[in-house]
Amino acid sequence: MKKWVALLASVLLVVTGAVGCSSDAGQQSQEGSSSGSPKVSISLWTLNTGWAWLQSAVKDFESANPDIDVELTQYEVDPFKENLKVAASSKTLPDMWFTWGGSLGSFYPENGMTMDLTQVAKDHKWSEKYNKTAIDMSTFNGKISGIPMHLNVLGMWYPKELYQKLNLKAPSKFADFESQLKTLKDNGVTPLAFGSKGGWHTMRLTEQLLEHFAGPELHDKLNNLEASWNDPAVVKTFEKIKEYTDKGYFPMGYSSLDPSEAEMLFYQQSAGIINEGTWFDGNITENGFDPAKFDVFNFPTEQTPTRASVFAEMLQINGASDPAKQEAAIKLGEYLTSVEVVNKYINDYGSPATLGFTVSEKTPHIQPLLDSAKNGGFLITDQALPQEVVQKLFEAQDKVALNEWTPQQAAENMENAVSAYKSKQK
Amino acid sequence: MTSRMLKPWLFLLPALIIYLTVIFVPAVYTFFLSFFSWNGVAPHKEFVGLGNYAELFTQDTVFMRALKNNLFWMIGSLTLIMGAGLGLALLLNKKLKGRIFFRGVFYFPYVLSGIVVATGWTWLYNPTQGFVNKMLALLGLESWQHAWLAEPDIALYAVFAAAMWQGIGQPMVLFLAGLQSIPHDPYEAALIDGAKPYQSFFYITLPLLRETFVIVVATTLIASMKVYDIIYGMTGGGPAESTQVLSSWMYSQTFKFANIGMGSAIAFILVLVSMTIIIPYVYYTTRKSYV
Repeated sequence: MKKWVALLASVLLVVTGAVGCSSDAGQQSQEGSSSGSPKVSISLWTLNTGWAWLQSAVKDFESANPDIDVELTQYEVDPFKENLKVAASSKTLPDMWFTWGGSLGSFYPENGMTMDLTQVAKDHKWSEKYNKTAIDMSTFNGKISGIPMHLNVLGMWYPKELYQKLNLKAPSKFADFESQLKTLKDNGVTPLAFGSKGGWHTMRLTEQLLEHFAGPELHDKLNNLEASWNDPAVVKTFEKIKEYTDKGYFPMGYSSLDPSEAEMLFYQQSAGIINEGTWFDGNITENGFDPAKFDVFNFPTEQTPTRASVFAEMLQINGASDPAKQEAAIKLGEYLTSVEVVNKYINDYGSPATLGFTVSEKTPHIQPLLDSAKNGGFLITDQALPQEVVQKLFEAQDKVALNEWTPQQAAENMENAVSAYKSKQK
Repeated sequence: MTSRMLKPWLFLLPALIIYLTVIFVPAVYTFFLSFFSWNGVAPHKEFVGLGNYAELFTQDTVFMRALKNNLFWMIGSLTLIMGAGLGLALLLNKKLKGRIFFRGVFYFPYVLSGIVVATGWTWLYNPTQGFVNKMLALLGLESWQHAWLAEPDIALYAVFAAAMWQGIGQPMVLFLAGLQSIPHDPYEAALIDGAKPYQSFFYITLPLLRETFVIVVATTLIASMKVYDIIYGMTGGGPAESTQVLSSWMYSQTFKFANIGMGSAIAFILVLVSMTIIIPYVYYTTRKSYV
């Protein structure tokens, strides 16, 4: 009896294995039958908020290119960053993915994971199609590593109606800006709509304060890790974060508030000023409000030249994908950033890196923001700094606001993080 | 004789192969990686010996906080979640109308994913729109209002409350099963001898639940050491890294900063701490048996 049971188990094992093999064979024959008209399937990962237009554009592309299938996956910001890293370390990156410039996007080309697009850029005359700054910001170690998609500029957005009601105008002096924060607070409005969960939203205020106190030259040196962060300008910057927190200029519990919740406070006009970029007209519309009812001003740094925070966004292509997939991805990437597609979706597209697009009346703030960066810009801080140092900056912002570190301690810890990072690079 | 000795091994071989390839080899490889500085994709790994461990214990302030938070979570889970689970089990073990309904109500949160619980409770705690602060205002207790998830002294406990709500169902069900397997005879004998209810509890119920306690304590300890998704979903480790736990900090190091060596070292420490506590406990408690 025992022998029969053992024999039966063995037979089952063999049969299971055989079934597995035969199903593989079936798949192979299916692929063979469809090889008559070769169809390429490519995967694309992007963000989701503010990117609803993309699904429609991808469908248009597939209609125009029946031999290409696009498998689109869209994520929120922080999950997207992490899923890309997970995919990178498990060698499962999609064929093409969206990413930012600076240290957020440099990880992939610096580790040999992206397709070198330098020759493609020459052959396809990208210098005539895309903004030079955006191409430069998509270049790492001398190689063009991404198809430029957006060139973003950040500013301080406010509701016109609220400003009119309180008889306020866009401030050109730092002191006026602070005076307005007080006026807003005194009138029952939370002055600054920031949500610090994830750290990057408050960072946009921190970097403006740093530009104000440090000036362009020192600010750039700090971001290039060429000057000590234990500097009076950094201390003053953190002192302001603490001051604004203590005066209740931020929403209650903002250090754990999601940026999207801060955005909601802004739309409801229970918070006065939010720092967002050239994509924000699209967000406003997407949330059911009218962009014309809002306006934007440059943070008054009182520095010369007046600079804005800027960053590029791009599509990178997997260096390990099949050449056929890479070719299809280039075609898709160039299509999505073509002037025709940009113009078609301009109301939702954000700020194109593409040259020659037509400005839409539904995105009235793109041009003023782009103009504000004409005299120069500094790279947004979470792309300018190495990611470990960025994380320490986020921690410092929170700890100063929550009385765990003094501004001086925050500056010291920033310098410690920079030193630790540098020593690892040697 | 030889074939008889070989048969058990032959039958165990498939499971053994799966165990070795899926669990044992990756675990050893993780330990191996903890001695290197590596970003997960570069061709070269730099050997740093115990450098990663030294850095964690001497320079990484977040790691020490994460370890402390995990220990709190462990103690809190063992005392509060297990205690509440046992209490509910005792209540629901009585003949009670609607017993099945209440078992379902208490067990249901356990079935939800951590992210679902996190999303719901984050809204409960919202400082301006959340149920908790609005209820306090309604009761005239505005001074008790807090930004629950945004104050470092409070945030971890706020998240733990949500985890407690979610996690009670499992120990409750296990204890209930254990209670129902206890025969009536000892209680009847005790009653005849004049024992009071609390005496029955300490001298009959607890000793006879020993096996159940082993299971519940072990699973609770393991769950408390590897807690991640509810914390990640509610606070992301903030504010100011005050709610980081070993799993979330390991995840950040490995996938956000691409510090594979550091992440592997944290993973190894996590396993080490878990095993240091669980193995002696299980060994000691399984030596005795009343059944």
